[in-house]
Amino acid sequence: MHSNDRSEQELKLLQLHFIGKILAGFTHESKNYLAIINESVGLIGDMVQMGKSSEKDLSEYLQIVRSVEDQIKRANEHFRALNRFAHRMDTELSSFSLNESIEELIALLTRFAKQKKIALIKNFQEDLPSLFSNPSLLQFIVFSVLDEGLLTLEKDSRITIETAGADHAVQIKIIPEGNVQTMESEVPSVPHEVVEKTIKQLNGNIVREGTGKTFIMLPLTAS
Amino acid sequence: MKQAGIKVLIVDDEVALANTLAQRLKMRDLQVETVYNGEEALSRLMQEEPDVMVLDLRMPGMQGMEVLKEVKKTHSHIQVIILTGHGTDKEEEEAKMLGGFGFLKKPADIETLADKIKDAFREKCTRTP
Repeated sequence: MHSNDRSEQELKLLQLHFIGKILAGFTHESKNYLAIINESVGLIGDMVQMGKSSEKDLSEYLQIVRSVEDQIKRANEHFRALNRFAHRMDTELSSFSLNESIEELIALLTRFAKQKKIALIKNFQEDLPSLFSNPSLLQFIVFSVLDEGLLTLEKDSRITIETAGADHAVQIKIIPEGNVQTMESEVPSVPHEVVEKTIKQLNGNIVREGTGKTFIMLPLTAS
Repeated sequence: MKQAGIKVLIVDDEVALANTLAQRLKMRDLQVETVYNGEEALSRLMQEEPDVMVLDLRMPGMQGMEVLKEVKKTHSHIQVIILTGHGTDKEEEEAKMLGGFGFLKKPADIETLADKIKDAFREKCTRTP
């Protein structure tokens, strides 16, 4: 097999792993929403069966209904993030907001961060121009850096994700803060050379500092 | 055996889920307390021991399996039922090996859970002199 084909295949496999991880986190969250709705509806059923109908009970019914509505609202936002994430792959190049694409990635990774008690902090420049690039590949690159942080940082750490405009470009700064685990088995899920090759496809570049900070530079137009 | 005397501790990081489940089990004459992470569960054991613990697996910080291991090391008579949304066969096997009494998947039927808790309490009574 030609080496280009091999690296293309490797990238595809790593992207599948990325999508699989996003789906695992998504289904976990979704099941939680459904479980809460299930118990809330069950509780209403229990109360009806017990003939609870005093004024105090009615206000409790309303409280449960509001809790169900809240869960449905949260689930809906979560579904929207996945839907937008999936549609990022519709076309190779498109015009999109950098902040929105990173925000939806963070929403889909929050479950993993919460599991490890790692806070994902957003610090976005509000008035960034739109990018014309490959949003799906960009999300894959940002995921690779965040995933490495989530894997290697100890509990109660934080990762700040900053965006800023530069001359005809944008910069994404990822700053991990906390103790790093020293387990030898914890290797990045996406090898650095794959991330570097991928960012080059978007005419951008990535710089990793010894302190763990990562800088991703991306031109406003990839082509 | 008086079921009203059964003390249950629910350990789940989903606060709304833990509280609603507790309310429903209380309606079935069980004494139920809730905590929202593994560390809190272990420190609660020092104050008041439940008969049965209903334990989630995936939680921020200390995971359910670590809690189960610790409970069985220090309070082996407490019966632990795993209640998880994402348990695999391997995890079910591991929980059994560690001394877990039961393994249920969310959403579990409330009567099934209540019956399991009563079975776990009976098991505790036969093991505790």
